[in-house]
Amino acid sequence: MPLYVSGICILGIALPGRASRVTYAPVEPAYELFDHTADMGLRIRAVSLEALLVPATSALYAAIGTLVPGETAGARRIEVKDDEAAYLLRDFLTELLVMFERESRMVTTIDSAEFRDGFLAAECRLSTVDVPRSVLQREVKAITYHELAIKSTSGGFEATVIVDI
Amino acid sequence: MAEAYHGPLERIDDTRWRIPRSYKEGMRVDGLIYADDVLIEAIRSDKSPEQVANVAFLPGIVRYSLAMPDIHWGYGFCIGGVAATDPKQGGVISPGGVGYDINCGVRLIRTHLTQNDVRPRIERLVDTLFRTVPCGVGRGGIVTFSKGELRKLMGEGSSYVVGKGFGWNSDLEATEAGGLIPHAEPNLVSDRALERGQDQCGTLGSGNHFLEVQVVDHVDDPHIAKVLGLEAGVITVMIHSGSRGLGYQVCEDNLKEMRHVPKKYGIELPDPQLACAPVNSAEGKKYLGSMRAAANYAWCNRQIMTHLTRQAFSEVFETPAERLGMHLVYDVAHNIAKMEPYDVDGRSIELCVHRKGATRAFPPSHPELPERYRGIGQPVLVPGDMGRASYVLVGREGAMRDTFGSCCHGAGRCMSRGAAIRASKGRSIQRELLDRGVIARARGRTGLEEEQPDAYKDVTQVVSVLHAAGIAHKVARLKPVGVIKG
Repeated sequence: MPLYVSGICILGIALPGRASRVTYAPVEPAYELFDHTADMGLRIRAVSLEALLVPATSALYAAIGTLVPGETAGARRIEVKDDEAAYLLRDFLTELLVMFERESRMVTTIDSAEFRDGFLAAECRLSTVDVPRSVLQREVKAITYHELAIKSTSGGFEATVIVDI
Repeated sequence: MAEAYHGPLERIDDTRWRIPRSYKEGMRVDGLIYADDVLIEAIRSDKSPEQVANVAFLPGIVRYSLAMPDIHWGYGFCIGGVAATDPKQGGVISPGGVGYDINCGVRLIRTHLTQNDVRPRIERLVDTLFRTVPCGVGRGGIVTFSKGELRKLMGEGSSYVVGKGFGWNSDLEATEAGGLIPHAEPNLVSDRALERGQDQCGTLGSGNHFLEVQVVDHVDDPHIAKVLGLEAGVITVMIHSGSRGLGYQVCEDNLKEMRHVPKKYGIELPDPQLACAPVNSAEGKKYLGSMRAAANYAWCNRQIMTHLTRQAFSEVFETPAERLGMHLVYDVAHNIAKMEPYDVDGRSIELCVHRKGATRAFPPSHPELPERYRGIGQPVLVPGDMGRASYVLVGREGAMRDTFGSCCHGAGRCMSRGAAIRASKGRSIQRELLDRGVIARARGRTGLEEEQPDAYKDVTQVVSVLHAAGIAHKVARLKPVGVIKG
């Protein structure tokens, strides 16, 4: 079952180091936006690294505003490489940000994800952004390295990301 | 709620506070913050002083890690930070010391119009500006440049777009560096950066960027104001924007490449956002070349918006912009790194000066100033907030002596975006601004709330600190009468 980004957020329970095509359980969207003076912080929680991608995507879009998906716009594999998990997540979000800015497209569903040492890949379904029905509140300029972290928690993982507004 | 700073802040005098080098192992110099007794309490309320201390770790940093009174919490560097490094002493350049919005800056256009001329048409004027100057998330500009054209634009700076009809030749002289930092290397700018910049040159953006119609409501120094073409009652336009997606991507590309560079050179840093490279290293030179290209793009961006602003005024007042006297007073960068000579211990040394939310403030007689401003010093443009005021100052000798030719860049936030939205509950910021005599238009639903006047420190207090410290000299206060925001 895929991980949905728009609509009801469904988090995946994935096996570490393997493409996540396993059981998924619906839970509440697990992210919050927090204050960072002129910028904005995203705090994201999920049961696995792979599952972090869904609330992270939702959190980024929430920082921009309320994005309403328009027409379906195909699928794309987003793949990034780095040597630390937090940096992989940052790079993944950067790809989404540039896609939004350049193509006015958004990820609506993540069909599967692989998130392991040095590598992150996500099979994403895309749609256009229905700009007239969306509320574009802020321009997120970049996903910063500042206070960037992923830590293990009793329930899985928690990521902190600061975005530049 | 931001975490407060609990480290040392030693009062030096009425305008300066020191963070001693002994605060953290690894600090190479003291931190030095400009503030009065009131502002320093606001500054302690977040971790920005910690960031001042962190910047003091940078190799080759000279004298101090500095912060202006508009300092607030940023990422890596604080906003309002200044750091000069000596390349001959292993000095580094840090993309984080410039920020994502390379050459974010401010320009001021004067007019012959008075408040009485504008008052009857102000609503139409603001609406026309809102329609004419592209602003807000995802809004493209009136012109799309090919990648080849963009490379040429970044290599030639403002003169490229003026040559295309977006402005007047006289605009160039009134722009910092003539709108062109030499030795830019557009070929080092990535394809992705070019793609992000193709349709954004001539767009305002969002966040704290704005275009404001103002009236000169108080003149502190009539002689200098006259040289600048300003007098009480005259209408001005202030534009605040930067290098848009192109600049963000240049910073992104270089930060990513520099991630492992500090380790390569044995540099220990307390925050990865401070990633840096020796100025004279291959990595440092690459960043400098591409950063300069993005800076030149930013000047073109503000230049095209100047053209659009003139068009809007011409339409509303049915008079050519030339006859409205819409001359550029000055354009100055506040997110940039530049190589500039300074006297250090009796020797003239070329330093790499990072200004992250800080404005250049050269004094009278400085050779980089245009002839017409040599006698008065460089205009320093300090936007405040959209309800109270902005200021025009000029640079003073103290800036060369104490702050590497730098001054504050604004009022500085004192409230987070979230707190500002929460504080707006049940209020209409647009209505409140109207009650203050300011017509405001914004694309984003929460743009006015996040940028409301209460979210900023009192700019009068901020500039007064630097006036008292001899860094810059107050010339005129500008009150907003109309504002457009993304």
